[in-house]
Amino acid sequence: MRRYRFLFEQLVRRELRQKYQGSALGIAWYVVNPLVLMGAYYLLFGVLFPPARVADFPLFLMVGLVVWLFFSQSLLQAASSLLDQGALIRKARFPRESVPAAVVTVQLVTFLAVLALVAVVEVAVRGTLGAPLLVLPLLLAALYAFTLGLALVVAVLHAYFRDVAPILSAVLLPWFFLSPIFYRPADVASEHAWARDVLRWVNPVAPFIESIRGVLYAGTWPSGAALLYVVAAAALALAGGRALFRRLEAELAVVV
Amino acid sequence: MRRGALVLEHATRTFSVRADRGRTLKELVLRRRAAGPPPVTALRDVSLHVEAGETVGIVGRNGAGKTSTLRVLAGIVPLDSGRVACGGQVVALLELGAGFGRDFSGRENILLNGALYGMSRAEIEARVEDIIAFSELDAFIDVPVKTYSSGMFVRLGFSIAAHLDPDVLLIDEVLAVGDEAFQRKCEARVAAQVEAGATLVLVSHDAALVERTCERVVVLDGGAVVFDGPAADGLGFYHELMGTIPGASASAVRTAVTGDPRTREVTPS
Repeated sequence: MRRYRFLFEQLVRRELRQKYQGSALGIAWYVVNPLVLMGAYYLLFGVLFPPARVADFPLFLMVGLVVWLFFSQSLLQAASSLLDQGALIRKARFPRESVPAAVVTVQLVTFLAVLALVAVVEVAVRGTLGAPLLVLPLLLAALYAFTLGLALVVAVLHAYFRDVAPILSAVLLPWFFLSPIFYRPADVASEHAWARDVLRWVNPVAPFIESIRGVLYAGTWPSGAALLYVVAAAALALAGGRALFRRLEAELAVVV
Repeated sequence: MRRGALVLEHATRTFSVRADRGRTLKELVLRRRAAGPPPVTALRDVSLHVEAGETVGIVGRNGAGKTSTLRVLAGIVPLDSGRVACGGQVVALLELGAGFGRDFSGRENILLNGALYGMSRAEIEARVEDIIAFSELDAFIDVPVKTYSSGMFVRLGFSIAAHLDPDVLLIDEVLAVGDEAFQRKCEARVAAQVEAGATLVLVSHDAALVERTCERVVVLDGGAVVFDGPAADGLGFYHELMGTIPGASASAVRTAVTGDPRTREVTPS
């Protein structure tokens, strides 16, 4: 594994270069994309239908959007990654998980760059500079591990069953709306109070979004339950993803 | 296991030959595969023991299982049954320049390709200048490889692979690189690595090349070993199998080889 550290580095570098080469805006696309989405949701839920009694609604939206974009883009790109690198997999022996891991890591690099910008604005406008920011690295590490675990699953499954990527993109859209990105589960109408806990705890992405937003937007510590949840979800996803990948990786050179 | 030794015991491997090799969920749910041609047996109970430093040529018709044998030895494709083991670092040249990033310069591809073979940055950087010099690409080394001619492309691919100093070198028909002068250089480079103690397994249809580079020849037919012995006899057997030397009879070849203790003949079952 150690021997292939340099390979991983090279794969990440290559992905990064291929993404931005020949594109006029380059890395700026990663800021433009959530900004456009933020504009659309602000127009809808901040101006046209204003039930949102959330202060600085664009800033509230932005954190959830960039977290969601990291998560969903990582999975979408990981799904096809093993097929995209078929030429390598058929002809050389190297740890196969480095391919989806490189894809997720590239997404992480751009996510962190965008999040850094968002964080500066949040902290400045919302005045959230304080001790809760110290927990942010832990939350981000857990988010990375969680996403990586699921990415390993979709990547190896898609290599065997080509229906996985279309299913994934179909699932991600409703998943987006069920995630607390432009609302807080606490704001759900009281006649659907049961739905608050479902939205908060059944969707594994929700605690990540709420904790990170709590730190950056509200300047509050995540609850103990939420911290435990994200760490457990990360460990579980990573362990499960690796186990499944190990089981299925041997035949990859034949199926891709 | 000794560095450079290779073992293949009762190796069997079949492949599905459907156009779409991936399965769909529908097939999984219905618990059956859509109709298609039956799987092909690429390796049929193949046993092969190669000592460190040996030079082995694998010959046979198209589809005899030569490349499959290399892919199994390289650890790229697993066996259905049987055992495979390789000692030390194995480098497989199955396709030169496989996985080159087309938008990247030759120099960047040297790093990526070396990394693919499990080398560290320091190990590759120590060799980069030798690789560039060997490839004769000169100024082209810093332009994207998509601008290369196909000859330049494979020259770079070979140059990288030839400077990895592995314990075992597995080569699939990729010695015929570039012009005649460069081909001679490649052969000399491989010979030098063998001289330094590397094990060589070469798959080729070029009998003259096998004769020049290998002491031992394995003939595969229909996925099984039908001859394993000294190169001269093995090539005789091969030519006869292919019907390329009219007049030579199988029994003549067989009697010629039975005296050698290293010779083993396997009748396909």
